[in-house]
Amino acid sequence: MSNQNFSTVLGIFLLPLVTVTLALAGGDAAADFEFDVDAFEKKPLQWGGYIEGKFEHFFYNKDGALYVLNVGNTDRSTLDRATGTLQIDGSYSAGRSSFNWLLKGAASQDQEEYDDWADIFEAYLRLRPTDTLTVEAGKQSYKWGTGYAWNPVGFLNRRKDPNDPNEDLEGFITLESTWIHSFGSVVESMAATVSVLPVWEDINDDFGRENNINLAARLYFLINNTDIDLIYFTGDSRSTRYGIDFASNLATNFAIHGEFSWIPHATRAVLLETGELLVEKTSSTSYLLGMRYLSEQNVTTIVEYYHNGSGYSEEEMRRYYQLVDEAQGAGEETAATMLLEKALTVSRSGYGAAQTGEDYGYARITWKEPFDIVYFTPGITGIVSLDDHSWTLTPELLYTGFTNWELRLRCSLLSGNAFSEFGEKATESKIELRVRYFF
Amino acid sequence: MKNILFFLMSGWLLILLPAQAMAVDGDELLKQVDANLQPQSYEMYRKLINIEPDGRKKEFVFYTAKKGKDKMVALFLSPASEKGRVSLRLGDNMWLYIPNVGKPIRITSLQSVVGGVFNNSDILRLDFHVEYDVKGVTDQGETWLLDLKAKTRSVAYDRLKMTVDKKTVQPLDIECIASSGMLIKTLHYSDIKDFGDGIVRPAKLMTDSPLHKGYRSVMIFAKMKKREFDDEVFTLDFTPRVNELR
Repeated sequence: MSNQNFSTVLGIFLLPLVTVTLALAGGDAAADFEFDVDAFEKKPLQWGGYIEGKFEHFFYNKDGALYVLNVGNTDRSTLDRATGTLQIDGSYSAGRSSFNWLLKGAASQDQEEYDDWADIFEAYLRLRPTDTLTVEAGKQSYKWGTGYAWNPVGFLNRRKDPNDPNEDLEGFITLESTWIHSFGSVVESMAATVSVLPVWEDINDDFGRENNINLAARLYFLINNTDIDLIYFTGDSRSTRYGIDFASNLATNFAIHGEFSWIPHATRAVLLETGELLVEKTSSTSYLLGMRYLSEQNVTTIVEYYHNGSGYSEEEMRRYYQLVDEAQGAGEETAATMLLEKALTVSRSGYGAAQTGEDYGYARITWKEPFDIVYFTPGITGIVSLDDHSWTLTPELLYTGFTNWELRLRCSLLSGNAFSEFGEKATESKIELRVRYFF
Repeated sequence: MKNILFFLMSGWLLILLPAQAMAVDGDELLKQVDANLQPQSYEMYRKLINIEPDGRKKEFVFYTAKKGKDKMVALFLSPASEKGRVSLRLGDNMWLYIPNVGKPIRITSLQSVVGGVFNNSDILRLDFHVEYDVKGVTDQGETWLLDLKAKTRSVAYDRLKMTVDKKTVQPLDIECIASSGMLIKTLHYSDIKDFGDGIVRPAKLMTDSPLHKGYRSVMIFAKMKKREFDDEVFTLDFTPRVNELR
C-alpha cells in the first residue's frame, strides 16, 4: 500500500467528517424569513455535484466461488477500503439550447491495492425548438422502466445495483428525439421517443457487437391516471426486443407497477454437464410486478417480484459453482490453473453478473422521520433468490438534517447454502459508512 | 281568520326574503378566494423554511408553474442536495423526478418531499374550489368561516375550516382536518403584498401541527407573475426540462 495514496484517500474521507463537525458547531444562521429571490435568477452556466467519503469493512466468505475467482489467495479474512468520490454535473444554456454534462471520478485504497478512475457519464447537446419537441445528441444515461430494483424493459439501461438503484449510471452515445403532446381527454398526454445508438470502435463498444447502428423507440401514454410505455429495440448489436411497462395509483397511498419484455432470439452462454460452454439462442420472456405502499405512520414499503427469462436455473448455476469448487480442490497446479481460467471465462460470459438466476423477490421498507426525528430515515432492503432461497439483507440509517449533507450507515448480510447465489459471493457481510456533501 | 293567516305569511316573507338576499353564496365566495390568491396560470418562486424546536432551520427554494385548475409543476433550486428535482401534478396524479435517476416515480399528496410540516399537497396545491365543496358559511363579523369538505378521497385533507377576511376576501387561517376529525395542521396567511399585475395577496404562509409539536414551517412567496404555458410543459417527459422555462 502506498502511504501517500492512503493518506490522500483518507483525507478525502475525513474532510467531510471534519466539515460536518464544524457545521454542527456553527449551526444554521437565523436569517429570519428573508427571501433574496434575485439570488436564484437563472444563469447560463449552472453546475453542482457532490463529494463523498465512503468507508467499507468487508468480511470475506472464503468458501465462496466468487471469492476464489475475484479475490484469490489472501491470508486476511477482512478488508477495509476507503473511497473518495467527486461528481460534477452542470449545464450551459443559450436560448432554446443547452449543453449538459455529468462527470465522475473516484479513488480508493484498501490493504491490497490503490485504484482510481474518472469518466464522462454524460455530455450531450439539447435543442428544444418548441415545448413539444426536443432533440438531444451525445452521451446520456438511460433508465427506462418503472421497476425499482430491476428493469426488464431497460433496453438501453446500464445494469444497476438493486441495493443502490438511484445512483447515477454511465450513459451511451445516442441521437434522440422526443415529441410530447397533451390531449386532455381519456388519453391525457403522450410522448414518442426515438433513439439511434451506434456501436463502433471506441463508441458504445461495451453495448454489444460492433459496426452496427441500433434503434430504440419508446411510446408513452397517460391514460386514466396510468402511465404506460411501449418500448422497442432493434439492431445487430443486440437482438430485437419488445417491452411494455405501467405504473398507477390504486389509492392515494398505494401504487402498482410492472414491466414485461420479450426477446424472440435471445442468446446466452450455458455451461453444459460435459463442461462445454455453449451459446444458445432462445426466446426469452422477463417480467416484473411491484407495489408501493405508504402507511399512516409514514412507512413506505416497496415489494417486487422479478422473473429473468434469460436467467440460469438453479442446476445451471450449480454447475458453475461446482467448476470453481473443482478448480479450488485440484491438487496439481497446472490443472487448477486451467480450471480456474475456464471458470473465469464462464463467469465473464454471464454467470458472474449480479442476479443472473431466474426468480427474485425484493423488498424495501423505509420509515421517514420516526418518533418525530426530522430528516432521519431508517430502512431495510432485502433480496431473495426464489430459486435457491439464498438472500441478502441490508439495514440502514439515513440522516439529512444538515443542509446539503447526507449521512448513511449500512450493514449488508448475505446468507445461503453452498452452490447458492448469495452463499457463493465473495463476502458474507459488509459495514459501510457514507458521507456526502452536495454543492 | 283568513286575514290573520295572510298577515302572518306576509310577515314571514318580509323577514325571510331580505335574509335570503343577505346569505353568502359559499361556492362563489370560495372561487373569489382562489381568484384573489393566484391567477389561473402563473409562475412564481417560493422559499420553504422548516424550523425545528431547537431553532435550527432547513430551507428549500423552488420555482413553480401552474396552468388552469389542475396542472402544476415545482422545480427545486436549493439546497444543492435537492437541486434539479421536480414535482409534477396533473389532477390526482403526482410524480417526483430526480435528475439522473430516470423515470419519475409516483408520489402521494400526503407524503412530503421536503420533510417538516408541509407535504406535497401543500407545495402543489390546486385551487380550493377544485378540491372542496362548501358545506357552510358562518358570518363572524369581520370574517367568514367556511366549512369545506373534500370532493374525493384523493384530496389530502378531508375537511378545511377556512377563516376569510371580508375586506380582502382572502384566507387568514385554515384548519386542515382528517376524516377522523383530528386536526392535522393549521395554515396562517400574512404579509399582504402587491406582486404587480393586479396580484395582491399574502406573501407568507406559516403552518404548525399538533402532530409535530414544536416544529413549524414557513412558505414565502415571491415574483408571482401571470404567464401562459403549453399543456405539454405539465407532462412526465418535460420534467427534465422545467428549468428551461425560467
